[in-house]
Amino acid sequence: MADRPTISWPNDAKVALWVAPNVEHYEYLPPRDALRNPWPRSPHPEVQGYSHRDYGNRVGFWRMLDVLDEHNVRCTASTNLAIFEHYPDIGKAMADRNWEIMSHGIYNTRYLSSLTEQEEREFYVDCVDTLRRHTGQKLKGMLGPAVSNTIRTPDLMSEAGLIYHADWLHDDQPIPIKVEGGPLISVPYSIELNDVPVFLQHHDTKDFVEMVKAQFDTLHEEGKTSGRVMALALHPYLMGMPHRIEGLEEILDYLLGRDDVWQATASQIAEHFIDHHYEEFVDHAEVISAVRDAS
Amino acid sequence: MLKLSARCAMPAERSSGMDHSHYSYSPLPTRAPLVWPENKPLALGALVLLEHYEWEPPTDAYSLRNASGGLIKLPAPDYVQLTHREYGHRVGVFRLLDTLEHHGIPATVAVDKVTAIHYPWLVDHLMQRGCELVGHGVAASQIITSKLSKEAEVEIIGNSLDTLEKVTGARPSGWFSPEGVESQRTPELLAAAGVSYVCDWPNDEQPYKMTTPLGDLISLPLFLEVDDEFALWHRRASLASWESMIVAAASRLHLDGQTSARHMMLTLRPWLTGQPFRIRSLDRSLSQIMQLEGIWAAQGNAIVQAFRESQFG
Repeated sequence: MADRPTISWPNDAKVALWVAPNVEHYEYLPPRDALRNPWPRSPHPEVQGYSHRDYGNRVGFWRMLDVLDEHNVRCTASTNLAIFEHYPDIGKAMADRNWEIMSHGIYNTRYLSSLTEQEEREFYVDCVDTLRRHTGQKLKGMLGPAVSNTIRTPDLMSEAGLIYHADWLHDDQPIPIKVEGGPLISVPYSIELNDVPVFLQHHDTKDFVEMVKAQFDTLHEEGKTSGRVMALALHPYLMGMPHRIEGLEEILDYLLGRDDVWQATASQIAEHFIDHHYEEFVDHAEVISAVRDAS
Repeated sequence: MLKLSARCAMPAERSSGMDHSHYSYSPLPTRAPLVWPENKPLALGALVLLEHYEWEPPTDAYSLRNASGGLIKLPAPDYVQLTHREYGHRVGVFRLLDTLEHHGIPATVAVDKVTAIHYPWLVDHLMQRGCELVGHGVAASQIITSKLSKEAEVEIIGNSLDTLEKVTGARPSGWFSPEGVESQRTPELLAAAGVSYVCDWPNDEQPYKMTTPLGDLISLPLFLEVDDEFALWHRRASLASWESMIVAAASRLHLDGQTSARHMMLTLRPWLTGQPFRIRSLDRSLSQIMQLEGIWAAQGNAIVQAFRESQFG
């Protein structure tokens, strides 16, 4: 970070902010996966965990939507694409608002980690086709379903025409990922500024609001020298709860009320980076590698 | 004979609606406005759980692997966990009922079969205080899961309801499965057993109709996030946080309930919230909630009856 080329965002923004509601469906009876059990609390079905998440699609999404609309947020919805099939109302609400749809797999209970190379290849075809069929959008990026991946994932994503991957938590700026084709870049997402880990623990809404504000203030200050990315990861079943929704209002008032913020989608961030900074970042990475190789 | 495999596709079929047949998808804003008696915006209920963990459960019974209470998971018999839970039946429940009564909130109490048999004095006491009793299985250490045969599940449900009917003279109209765990068949078996409403599905702010092939059943969702065990035990939220969460949730539901009424079912465990240091937080939060105008404090059955009237006339 200390020695990198400088990133400049449109209109000299200091922070590129993307807002990512995770619109998900967890299956009532998911297929058995030897590596990962989505519902360990009891034998399946686990109606409590299922219902908690189902609340998001019945109630929480709609309460959050009102607040996002009031703030004119163009979201990048991290979407289990089967949402378009199970819940056309939600699909339409997202498409009507011209939200960018980022693939979050098909279901949150079907993991990439157990797929063969061929199965994973077919998975991308399914994702691309499903999104195009329901919205006309070209799929540009992915957050792995329930953040699952394989070692082949970046190459196969790139082969399927995707340009960004959100599973890399390693930076505050987009970073080129080495793939066969490309370009493929990481757009920083967050498992810290994310309502799931925060509210899985003891934190309350106030804590989350303070975290988000502090994160923003630091990135905004640092962004004076080189642009930063901030992701706000949300889940309707958590943030759409009646006792949390005011926190979202406070967060959006704060972030969008500041100067020098570019409220963008993940692909806008990715494309701007690819068009303006990709080459110099690759060159820089090669210089750094050469230093390592020489030592 | 009902063919369950045909009804519950596995894995999910990618078509419109839910991936099971227990209810339809219903986004809240698309529903006709729900109206409570006297146009009150928010129904407030409290489900108190009298759940018994057996010292020597049947060897083939299934328990939650992370059952709450106690200190660390000890080899059986876990005196710490078992007696921690028993505190609720001996002490906590009275403190909890007093607090609810003080705020004018009539309690709905889930009573499992072992509790009904081993604590007859307590059951009489609940009846004298006007509590509504709902079925709660046989014991918390015998949860209902899809590993049970249909016959075994029918027997648990029937046994639990029959026992409560025998000791109270009235058959319960409501049901909450032990630890909130169900099999794929539970909703229809409850409907077949004559149960009117079930609290196992915490997915909404309004009751809704379930679609079982064996009879009519209403889902009365609990509010999982303010459930004392979920918030205080599993999430380890502070008491101050829990208290403000309850108040914030009720205030917002009260506001949103002006356009379409809502309900809020608190889930309270006597062994947990009935502890002397915790009861004060509940007391303070209820004081604040009950100051909101037009709170309808009610038992489960009354809320469900009002829902039926609002929907079906």
